Amino acid sequence: MPPWLNESLTWGNALILFLWAAVFLLIVLGFVTYAIYFERKVIGWMQLRIGPNRVGPLGLLQTVADIFKLLIKEDTIPRKADRLLFVLAPVLAYVPAFSVLAVLPYTQKLYFADLNVGLLYYVALSGITTLAIVLGGWASNNKYALLGGMRSAAQMISYEVPLVISVVGVILLSGSLNLREIVMAQDGGWFWNWNFLPQIVGFVVFIIAAVSELNRTPFDLPEAESELVAGYHVEYSGFRFAFFMLSEYVYVYAIAALTTVLFLGGWHAPAPFLEFVPGIVWFLLKFAFIVFFLFWIRATFPRIRVDQLMALGWKVLLPAALLNVFLTAAYLELFIK
Amino acid sequence: MFQIDVTGEFAAFFIFSAIMICGAVLMISLVKVVHMLLSMAAVFLGLAGMFVLLEAEFVAFVQVLIYAGAVSILMIFGIMMTNHQHVEREKAKPLHEALAAVAALCLFGFIFYAIRSTTFPEPGPFDAGEDNTMAIGELLYTGYVIPFELLSVLLTVAFIGAILLARKEAE
Repeated sequence: MPPWLNESLTWGNALILFLWAAVFLLIVLGFVTYAIYFERKVIGWMQLRIGPNRVGPLGLLQTVADIFKLLIKEDTIPRKADRLLFVLAPVLAYVPAFSVLAVLPYTQKLYFADLNVGLLYYVALSGITTLAIVLGGWASNNKYALLGGMRSAAQMISYEVPLVISVVGVILLSGSLNLREIVMAQDGGWFWNWNFLPQIVGFVVFIIAAVSELNRTPFDLPEAESELVAGYHVEYSGFRFAFFMLSEYVYVYAIAALTTVLFLGGWHAPAPFLEFVPGIVWFLLKFAFIVFFLFWIRATFPRIRVDQLMALGWKVLLPAALLNVFLTAAYLELFIK
Repeated sequence: MFQIDVTGEFAAFFIFSAIMICGAVLMISLVKVVHMLLSMAAVFLGLAGMFVLLEAEFVAFVQVLIYAGAVSILMIFGIMMTNHQHVEREKAKPLHEALAAVAALCLFGFIFYAIRSTTFPEPGPFDAGEDNTMAIGELLYTGYVIPFELLSVLLTVAFIGAILLARKEAE
């Protein structure tokens, strides 16, 4: 990326940058489409149902049809809503969700931006989405939407703290905030060199906090249907609603890729004799496993109560994450230095 | 007088400047508090962009994390939890407005003249370093360790004070 930014801005260069972004956007949209299909299928099978099977072969076009329905729906804005913020909130939710993907490295050579504070960039931008959710809930001028937005903000802020602190151990071990260097630091040939075993406490805290950041079951209180109707997006319909859903699934993509990069060794093969398989295949396998894991949790866990949620975040995850930082630092100081 | 070649950096500088200036103007001129807050967040984001252009990535994303993220959300909470009646702004007097405009123009003139008449020293080769996060960390824990620790104590005291106040109100 730096060579691009310092070159003179000709129309050709701008066009190339724009095209790359567009291609990537299409890939992400494709992922979201089939992630939703896959999620419904997997949960269906786990609950002894069939799942979507009507539109297209094996129901493959079901999500496409759903998205098409959302796009041609009438766009409604409540009369008493704050019009400007109501329109702005979905955009503000989606833009950071797409921007955080820029720093994720897929293989040694395939990455978009090699930022030396990649991890911080991810954490910082994903916080902006929280702002958008609160604003969307507030702008709707609906008490359920406001409650959903408030819950969402409270939850996302509470879980962002352990999420960030749980990766400090990884940063200590690899000595960098650059996501590519974090992957390279896990290169030992075998899978026990990946961070998830040396950082097992951090890994568990990270996964729990990540599920909560994604607002997914068992932490999907912001959109608890039984108490809040739908949560912060209750007044949204059509493509604005689609944007909120889209950013939620783009964060699934981002968190799955981030977990792979931070804890599962990115593009590295699990054993030296498997290195003939290209790195992107390993990356995709690990990535797909994390995505499946998220769906699996959703199919099998009940929703927890709001007080349990806060207690878990502040009384269990945060001390565990802090302990992990101290243990890692002590280990590095005593045995490595 | 102005010899500038148009690079991506140049375009980015103007975009960020526009975001910051628009945000600042809107912050003052908007009526609803939540709108003001959002334009303030835009200023914070523009500022973060400026830091990126200056190759201070760490500061830039801490700016986004703390100001655009945490502080804005905290303020939104504060605004939403408290009750707000719309207070119609008093109509400003024409004389008052005219005087303010003249003063602002004068100030602009002075600053512009000062900037144009100053000869800046030739900028030396600037080295942002390979990893400015590490550089900041090393400075914080060597030369500036006492101010850093004192600040963290100050923050902890403020934090405990806030908890105490909240507890008192709950009882």
